[in-house]
Amino acid sequence: MLTRSFIGLSLLGGLIAGCNPTPSSSGDFQPLSTDQVVFWDRQTTETAQLLQRITDEFNDSQEGLPVRIETTGNYGEIYRKVMASIQARQLPAMAVSYESMTAQYAASGAVVPLDGFVSAASGGLSPEELADFFPAVLESNYYSDYDGQLLSFPFSKSVLMLYANHRVLRLAGIEAPPRTWEEFLQQCRTIREKTGKPAYAISVDCSTISGMIFSMGGELVVDGVFQYDQPAARQAFGLLETLMEEELAYQIQARTFDDEVAFARDDVAFTIRTSAGSANMAVAMGGKNDDWSMNPLPQQNLDRPATILFGPNITIFKTGAEQERVAWAFTRHFTSVPVMTEWALATGYLPIRKSVADDPRMQAYWDAWPSNKVPYDCLVFAKTEPNLRGWQEIRSLVEKAESAVLAGLKSAEEATKELQVEAQATLARAQQ
Amino acid sequence: MKRALAYMVLTLGALLVIYPFIWMVGTAFKTLPESMGGSLSPLPQTWQWGNLSATLQAAPFGRYFFNSMVVGITVGLCVVLTSLLAGYAFARFSFRGRGVLFGLVLATMMVPFEITFIPNFVVITRLGWYNSYAALIVPWCANAFGIFLVRQAFLSLPEAYYDAAVLDGCGPLRFLRHIGASMVKPTLVTVFLFAFLGSYNALLWPLVVTSDPSMGVVQVGLASFVLDSGVRLNLLMCASAFVIVPSILLFLVTQRYFETGALGSGLKE
Amino acid sequence: MSLWVGFSDGLDRVLAWADGHLVGRSGRPEGGRRAALCLLAPTLLLLGVFGVAPIVSTVLLSLFDLRYGNGAFAGLGNYQEALQSSAFWNSVRVTAWYLVGVVPTTIGLGFVVAWGLMHVTRGRTLFRTLYFLPYITSAYAAALVWRALLNPQGGLANGLLEWIGLPTQQWLLEPRGLLHVVTGGAVAADMGPSLALCCVMAFDIWHGLGFTVVILLAGLSAIPQELEDAARIDGAGVLQVIRHVTLPLLTPTLYFLLLIGTISGFQAFNSFYALTQSGGNTLGTTENLVIYLFANFYDNGRWGYGAAIATLLLVAIIALALVQARFARRWVHYS
Repeated sequence: MLTRSFIGLSLLGGLIAGCNPTPSSSGDFQPLSTDQVVFWDRQTTETAQLLQRITDEFNDSQEGLPVRIETTGNYGEIYRKVMASIQARQLPAMAVSYESMTAQYAASGAVVPLDGFVSAASGGLSPEELADFFPAVLESNYYSDYDGQLLSFPFSKSVLMLYANHRVLRLAGIEAPPRTWEEFLQQCRTIREKTGKPAYAISVDCSTISGMIFSMGGELVVDGVFQYDQPAARQAFGLLETLMEEELAYQIQARTFDDEVAFARDDVAFTIRTSAGSANMAVAMGGKNDDWSMNPLPQQNLDRPATILFGPNITIFKTGAEQERVAWAFTRHFTSVPVMTEWALATGYLPIRKSVADDPRMQAYWDAWPSNKVPYDCLVFAKTEPNLRGWQEIRSLVEKAESAVLAGLKSAEEATKELQVEAQATLARAQQ
Repeated sequence: MKRALAYMVLTLGALLVIYPFIWMVGTAFKTLPESMGGSLSPLPQTWQWGNLSATLQAAPFGRYFFNSMVVGITVGLCVVLTSLLAGYAFARFSFRGRGVLFGLVLATMMVPFEITFIPNFVVITRLGWYNSYAALIVPWCANAFGIFLVRQAFLSLPEAYYDAAVLDGCGPLRFLRHIGASMVKPTLVTVFLFAFLGSYNALLWPLVVTSDPSMGVVQVGLASFVLDSGVRLNLLMCASAFVIVPSILLFLVTQRYFETGALGSGLKE
Repeated sequence: MSLWVGFSDGLDRVLAWADGHLVGRSGRPEGGRRAALCLLAPTLLLLGVFGVAPIVSTVLLSLFDLRYGNGAFAGLGNYQEALQSSAFWNSVRVTAWYLVGVVPTTIGLGFVVAWGLMHVTRGRTLFRTLYFLPYITSAYAAALVWRALLNPQGGLANGLLEWIGLPTQQWLLEPRGLLHVVTGGAVAADMGPSLALCCVMAFDIWHGLGFTVVILLAGLSAIPQELEDAARIDGAGVLQVIRHVTLPLLTPTLYFLLLIGTISGFQAFNSFYALTQSGGNTLGTTENLVIYLFANFYDNGRWGYGAAIATLLLVAIIALALVQARFARRWVHYS
């Protein structure tokens, strides 16, 4: 009897908790708080304080519910929290997310499409305002898996840059950082020769590979077909293979900042990183001086440059009309030109609107150090990774392939061929 | 001779074991570039004592410590109580299905937390406990490991004690209160220690069930040094070092119980 | 003070009343069931809702083909897929190597340390605290330290190797087998655990040592000193005493550690994740069952499949625990 009642109790609990393996669609999510609009964000320390100040200004300027920021861990942890909250049917009004996460939230029916807000007569974005956003910044927020709806809005974006350590370059007798991949390889060889050390610290990351492929003139996916067996991808992996064979580069530990450390100690000349890391790099290099610079990615064809844009967006959840309205108003406020300018100046994330160029503060910032303007200039030819279902899984496949090539266990040829097959199969399975 | 050998082995082992801590404390007082620089020396060139106040100011550690202690001690006490009652029941009472039930209890230790936290989170939310002490405390108040230990301790008590109690007209519950509990006190102290540590060092659960800064715990405070653009390694190490202090103190207080035959002399089935 | 006395008396009276209902005329507890129910009720409630219910809902979840929140009933489809997946069996292999490497080593080293601690008189508290330190540190912070020490560029580990004159290693980045690396290539690279996996194992041995030492200390101190002394008088040497007196009497504790070690070994996650993320960098050689589960559940959004893996994991643990229990009759001596 005892055992039976115990089992019965557990089953009951289990059914209450797990009774919704396939959550239904709209309408039945509760907001976390009925008198505040909660925003789950990732920022800590100084950037959190800035965000709080921006939020306070917004709250003072409007009549609706106040926005409240809650710092809840890193992006992965926020993602887990949101997924658990979806199961519990109680969500914040908005949260920061990457495109793959938004796609998953949308599949659970929790996301508010923003097209209506954008095109609304009042409180929306006029066609001029929309055109003021760089195209790449908006494009990954339209999801082809969901009829091309706008399911998220850009929050803090950055581009992939080539960081060059001029102290090491000068030692090797090199005047300026490379502008093409040919030059890059040559310079690595020269540096190795003159300093005896590798020139480049490699951080295994799918977005870096994607950026390399773009800058080598390729695409990632065309009409649902991956392009990993095409020349650009082959070239990207081939370059890595060559760099390792000739001991011109080495691999750093996963998800660390060891490459920045090596860069700062003059152990390497190059690292390829996000522009958002410039503030950190400045601390390590003793300021924004002429010992280092941020450059566009080396290109295959200088007439048709390309690079990659990434960064999190804001997703708004179905938590009721008033919550959603205020959430959108906040998003619009945050991405307005004055606020964006301030955010960009303080954090090093990119200002995503073209007309920030007219702001004197921005111009002063650009004049202060040449490299400050470079990421902004790259925005015009930046591209984004696909936001298809299954893309997250394919990212790990790309990183596995990259690791195999860097460890010398597979040739670039083999790795790209296998990757193509696996990626295509994964996409097919995810799209079912 | 044997004694000297023991000392040598122990000292050598201890040095190996605590080297990472020497590195941690040393790095805690380095400047940021120095801390990331990978120099072979674990100790800083100049000790940055200012790191201590910088760390304490980066997040509301005072509040976090308070929460962690309240939650940890409450969980510890509750686990001791439930383990005592349940361990005693499993050891001294026979009823049908006892074996199966005990197996079920053990099974609760066998599933990874990464999955089980979602159903638990749903229950917590349905109960309206989000952002509350209840959410941080209640799910952890019963612990299969504690029950296991206490049951074992009672099993290894000689029959004579129970017989003597019966002769004195003492029922099972009063026996437990007057004699049983103090007989297994060393075990209970051990259970308290491990339950406290489990609660104190947890990160994912507090992160998931709270988002209000006034409800955070120290582990959440540690996480605030990991930024998007880098890790403030020196401050993180500083924070980690003083986060350990309560655990060390608790250990020092409880460790003399470990050598008084705490777990009994045998594991009986 | 008098408040406490009053409370104490009141409690006593309540317990006596309760006992009256539980104890029959023979003086023995009557109807074990009713008494047990009272004692077990709060525990079972808590464990039922927070311990067993998640298991039940996980098993339910595994019967659906959930991708990204939507899915149809799939029966045993997820299980079929798992058992046919090479990635799944790879994670099983990694878990197996991990168990074989960590559990016996931790117990063995723990015994050496605990035995040593029993035989020193001064500094016992200090030593005990030092050995216990790794166990009470948050795995995340400790992993950061280890990653810095194992950094292929500029970490202490490679610094030592260079000083001795041996080739430097990639440590947590090395997907090639330990045997392959140590024998300079004589053994194939995919035989045995990878060097990266061995680093993770070393971390967990370091981390778990304190726990094992504490439990073993308790077990060792329950062995009557007279027995060891008697053997010594009979002329036995140190090792013989250990082999014939200490170890046999310690078998129950050893069995306990083996069981607990196996259960936690199967569930190892924090160390793996903090040291090598999701295993992509090491080509899956540090992708154990829980990491594999995690990657499928969260990164790939396949909740049903992830739940199936969790259920298979649970079944494996139960099976191994039962096997260990069966074998225990043969080698565990009860006093």
